[in-house]
Amino acid sequence: MQVLRNIWFLALATCTEGIRHKALWAIVGLAILLTMANVGVTTLYSWDLGKVSVEFGLSAVAFAGLLLVFFLGMKLLADDLERCRIFMLLSRPVSIWQYLTGKFLGLAMILLLTTCILGLSAALSMRFVLWHYAAYVPPDFSWLTYIMALVCQWMSLVVVLAVSMLCFSFASQPFVALLLAVSAYLVGQNMELLRRVVVENPQAGVLTGQENLVLALSWIFPNLSLFDKKYTAAYGLAFSGQEFMFLCLYGISYSALLIYLSALLFKRKELA
Amino acid sequence: MTSPAIEITDLSKTFGSGRKRNQALCDLSLTIAQGEIFGFLGPNGAGKSTTIKLLLRFLKPDSGSLSILGKNVGQEEFRHQIGYLSEFPFFYDHLTARETLLLSGRLSGMNRQTIDQRIIMLLERMNLIEAADRRVGGFSKGMKQRLGMANALIHDPEVLIFDEPMSGLDPVGRHQIKGLIAELKQQGKTVFFSSHILSDIEALCDRIGVINKGVLLYAGGLADFLVTGGGLEERFVDVIEEANHASAA
Repeated sequence: MQVLRNIWFLALATCTEGIRHKALWAIVGLAILLTMANVGVTTLYSWDLGKVSVEFGLSAVAFAGLLLVFFLGMKLLADDLERCRIFMLLSRPVSIWQYLTGKFLGLAMILLLTTCILGLSAALSMRFVLWHYAAYVPPDFSWLTYIMALVCQWMSLVVVLAVSMLCFSFASQPFVALLLAVSAYLVGQNMELLRRVVVENPQAGVLTGQENLVLALSWIFPNLSLFDKKYTAAYGLAFSGQEFMFLCLYGISYSALLIYLSALLFKRKELA
Repeated sequence: MTSPAIEITDLSKTFGSGRKRNQALCDLSLTIAQGEIFGFLGPNGAGKSTTIKLLLRFLKPDSGSLSILGKNVGQEEFRHQIGYLSEFPFFYDHLTARETLLLSGRLSGMNRQTIDQRIIMLLERMNLIEAADRRVGGFSKGMKQRLGMANALIHDPEVLIFDEPMSGLDPVGRHQIKGLIAELKQQGKTVFFSSHILSDIEALCDRIGVINKGVLLYAGGLADFLVTGGGLEERFVDVIEEANHASAA
């Protein structure tokens, strides 16, 4: 029981620290401006206004979320080590895995809060566009699909956060961890595309015939493109509850595995 | 028979490898009885902070063993019985002093009511009660040091480990911390602290340990250390210079 309590108190402290950080509100402010710019940007297009509006709104949420993970999240983690704050926590009966899980959950809570704020802001701007240009509303557009796409977006950020924590647990410098995390994100975003190219194209250059290698890589790196449901939401395409649940399960289990690996690696680290 | 508060046996620690290899501690053995105030002295880079970090398991020893109140460090949970103050106490800048102590109390397994009582008592004792609801990021170094002391004491531990507790404090703050350490001794607590300020060591400690380049040069009563007469500073400098000459020869 004390284990769960420790994780919860650490998550709460991390979330409070993050919420009171100016950087968070600067990024959220920027993202709200971006989502509001939706109203202006959409009118530059002469067709598919509804689709552009939904994709633009969700892209703004994704962009702000990445900034939060890579700058605020990794800064809070790096500060713990560089400013020796971790000593204050680990001199208590708190294990490394409790510390990392608490930090991870606290940062995931910040991401959830900001995704909700930005999702609402994007929804308001989309509502305005869809109401003004009713003729361009995708025929099967559904707010439920939009919310599900938003949850997938958050889940994708949670996975990127878990990747960042893994990089942070073995990198010698926070900057190196940031570079590794950004690289892993880029690979993760394009892994599905690469897999398809290699499997479906017999002239895929040096990767021709390396389906197994690419398949293995696609299991190692997070398949972030699976979480990208902007297109589905924008065109009002079918998005089943089963697929949604599968994605959530994939995101949660992948993140849990990464946090477990992070704890194993972090234990080997010397906190000099 | 009561177990020693702190027992360190044949402790060695090396950082780096090859040409960058640095032996931080070499076969250090030390026993500190319960209720004792033990001062750990040594020049910069002597291995004081490394010893403390090994005691708290922030670092892993190459060889040797450590135990606190009979519990083996690294094998059994002991941290609810110790209070630690680092040389440079850093906290979450955006949490208030009250929230910081609440977090530490919660992580030590205390209930809310007891924590609230101890927060008020400790913040009053450390002259921080008026800053209780201010964010720690705006605190001066001295205030952070005093908050660090309150943080170490929040769960009323039996053994206190302080790394340079007087650093960054003005004379009033130092006087306050010295008074507090004397009070802790009266309560039967064990205090293990490192310091450069020899007058503080002289005023507070029952026993001292002198360390230089990772080697323990002396551990015992303060009176025995000062056997040749003169002050602690002269004797300390003599011992360190002797050790440096011996190692150079």
